Amino acid sequence: MSGEVSSLDMTPMPLERWSRAHAPQRAEDTLAHADALYNLARYLTHDAGEAEDLVQETYVRALRAWSELAPGTNVKAWLFRILRNAFISRYRHALRHPAPAPYDTTEQSPEEAAVEGSSRGELEAEQLRRVLSSELEAALRTLSDDARTVILLDAEGLTESETAMVVGCAVGTVKSRLNRARAALRLKLADYAARDPS
Amino acid sequence: MNCEDVQIHLHDFVKRRLDPALNGDVGAHLEGCAACSSAERAEHVLDELLEQRLPRYAAPNAFKRRLGLLVGRPASARVEPGRWTRVIAPAMAAGLLLLAGGVLLSRSSSQRSELATLTSEVVNDHLRVLASEHPVEIESGGTHQVKPWFEGKLDFAPVVPAPEGSELRLRGGSVGYVFDRKAAVIVYALRLHAVTLLVFRPEGLPWPDTGARQLGPARGREVSARGFNVVLWRDGGLAYALVSDVNEEELRGIAARFAAATVHAPGP
Repeated sequence: MSGEVSSLDMTPMPLERWSRAHAPQRAEDTLAHADALYNLARYLTHDAGEAEDLVQETYVRALRAWSELAPGTNVKAWLFRILRNAFISRYRHALRHPAPAPYDTTEQSPEEAAVEGSSRGELEAEQLRRVLSSELEAALRTLSDDARTVILLDAEGLTESETAMVVGCAVGTVKSRLNRARAALRLKLADYAARDPS
Repeated sequence: MNCEDVQIHLHDFVKRRLDPALNGDVGAHLEGCAACSSAERAEHVLDELLEQRLPRYAAPNAFKRRLGLLVGRPASARVEPGRWTRVIAPAMAAGLLLLAGGVLLSRSSSQRSELATLTSEVVNDHLRVLASEHPVEIESGGTHQVKPWFEGKLDFAPVVPAPEGSELRLRGGSVGYVFDRKAAVIVYALRLHAVTLLVFRPEGLPWPDTGARQLGPARGREVSARGFNVVLWRDGGLAYALVSDVNEEELRGIAARFAAATVHAPGP
């Protein structure tokens, strides 16, 4: 599946050039995932207009590759994968020559170990319960794109194997990334809770 | 199994997706380890936060309609592939013209549709208030009891207008939802009628601005649906919807007074 997606032409096609006559059968069913895709796009781009562009490009790419979609494929996960690839190609060209990223390996750096260790046990559940929606959103936005993505996909209900398909890595790597991302999020939330005088 | 092993599996344990043997091992460790047990509780709370408090952005309706055009909804007569190949140029031109014309012609109908969707949602919220045995979570002796009750339950501080010098009586408040977002639900009584004021964040919602009229110091829309009158306005980064079966003129008067109370309120 990854080959199919990555081999697509990366040039976005304007919406008006995509004829409805080319829409494959049952493609309209993918509209059921529009909100979920848009939500992830908003958290990745931080902008409503860019999120719309990203989701639109996702649909254009998906429609182009629709005939290659294997029967039984989890279409929602497949769309998320296309969206993530589109995001990377649009906003993260530097990834073509990537530097080692904190969430890209299963190995844990000493800093991450410290982060994880300090967040464990010290942050009481009662503190977390005081966190407001805006603080939660702000904390999530401080994480890396990859960390934010795995947390949101997990919250979306995707299994670890589905998330692995979306982000293009092993299930064990997803598990490791998710654990570290959640630990980092809890640490951020602990900061907010500590600043709250109430 | 040591603490490090357990913490690797803690999220899967909380999500109940470990195999029975591993689940048993983790559970046994948690019973005897205060630190891991504390971490497990924090994981539970984090899941609750992500599920209940993380703002979820819904795709705007107008955007969904554009996607619908892209993937073929609404259904319309489709051109067969062979025929399409023969007529691709004129069909493309016609499609572009249709799209351009459609954008212009559908703008007003799009606004009407957005207004109808929003109206239907807030009327449904009002109906939930009417149908509920306990429509308010905080009974009111006055606005100073209701407003503080919302603290910590919403990520904004709603103004609770005080209906002084009128037949309107504040009954109380609760937290509800308008579409995908939390809303302050403030319930009033006017004689035998219920009046519901919904306060919510409008980000990402299509908001029909055309046809707005002056409503005290704010500009708002008045609409009716299913026998209920609705007044909508926005100010200070918040949206307000006032719903009741009281007559149009009376509800407009209440809305104007409420808008005067909310128009200078600080934003969220």
